[in-house]
Amino acid sequence: MEWPWQYNFPPFFTIQPNSDTRKKQLEAWCSLILNYHKQKKSYSIDVTEILNSQLCHNKEIDRKLSLDGLYTVLDELCRTGHLEWKDPKTKKQCLVMWRTPEEWGNLIYSWIISKSMTNTVCTFYELTNGEESEGTEFYGLEKWLLLRAIKTLEAQRKAEIMMFDDSEGVKFF
Amino acid sequence: MGGLFSSKGKDKKTESRVTEQDKAVLQLKQQRDKLKQYQKKINVQIEKDRTVAKQLLHDGRKDKAKLMLRKKKFQESLLEKTDGQLDNIDRMVTDLEFAQVESQVVQGLKVGNESLKKLHQLLSLEDVEKIMDETREGIEYQQEIDDLLSGGLSAQDEDDVLAELDAIVQAEVTDELPDVPDDELPEEKRKERARKEKRQAEALAS
Repeated sequence: MEWPWQYNFPPFFTIQPNSDTRKKQLEAWCSLILNYHKQKKSYSIDVTEILNSQLCHNKEIDRKLSLDGLYTVLDELCRTGHLEWKDPKTKKQCLVMWRTPEEWGNLIYSWIISKSMTNTVCTFYELTNGEESEGTEFYGLEKWLLLRAIKTLEAQRKAEIMMFDDSEGVKFF
Repeated sequence: MGGLFSSKGKDKKTESRVTEQDKAVLQLKQQRDKLKQYQKKINVQIEKDRTVAKQLLHDGRKDKAKLMLRKKKFQESLLEKTDGQLDNIDRMVTDLEFAQVESQVVQGLKVGNESLKKLHQLLSLEDVEKIMDETREGIEYQQEIDDLLSGGLSAQDEDDVLAELDAIVQAEVTDELPDVPDDELPEEKRKERARKEKRQAEALAS
């Protein structure tokens, strides 16, 4: 992972009091967090874990983002719609979306089109873990996010979610 | 008032486009996914057994290694069996999908056939015959009128007309031809000069 220049800039790890500076700083933090998880293909954040990871702790310059600082950044991500708390009361873990469900939906749908798989039934496993989808960006996508992506397609009448008994899947149109 | 809202609600919730066959396909595919996951699991175990057997051989525990290899062999046979099952499921899915395509084709043909029939009802054979007859009569009638009108000119007149037409065409053709150039060809000129020089030389010699 390539770190942005701010990562080696000590004041970056302290939330700045000046509102203009803070705005820029938060923007940089948001994109850093999203890029970091995109690189790792990770879809969730554990607050304590991330606080001790290299993301929030740059050992080389001996700077660490405080818990309050992290919450400020995460709340900002929440505001932009890239993050959701699993439990808003405890705020221990959250879901992170470095691509919005719409973007995921479009990615999946263009893949379906390229394979002429419209009018075909697919299982969720096939989409995110199948041999066919290996190498696509949504390979390994978590189910909650996949469901949301497909729901955006459903709203556009490009797909329909099938759920009955213990079967679940999607039909593309 | 209520009707307005309820009709709107109905429009919004359009009927599902998922057919019973789709559900069957989905169940089959899910079964396929489970088999694939099972295969992955077995593959991992086989890999593990192989390394364990190697380690056992290394340690000199031949009997244990043999046992491991036997277990591995058994799992490989399981893998082969699931391969067969997977093949069956895949074929079934393809068959189902193809049957759906076929039924759509038949449906399409049916619609086409019906509209063709409707068109044929509009156009009966007698009608067409009558129309064609009337058309032919019309053409014949027109021919008669033409004959009557052009009958005013005698054969001699017709010949004159043709002759005049020819003359005009001829004149136009000659007009368009370019003039013949009257300057001499360079080749000719040179020959002429050569001949002259020869004659002069002969005159000098004599």
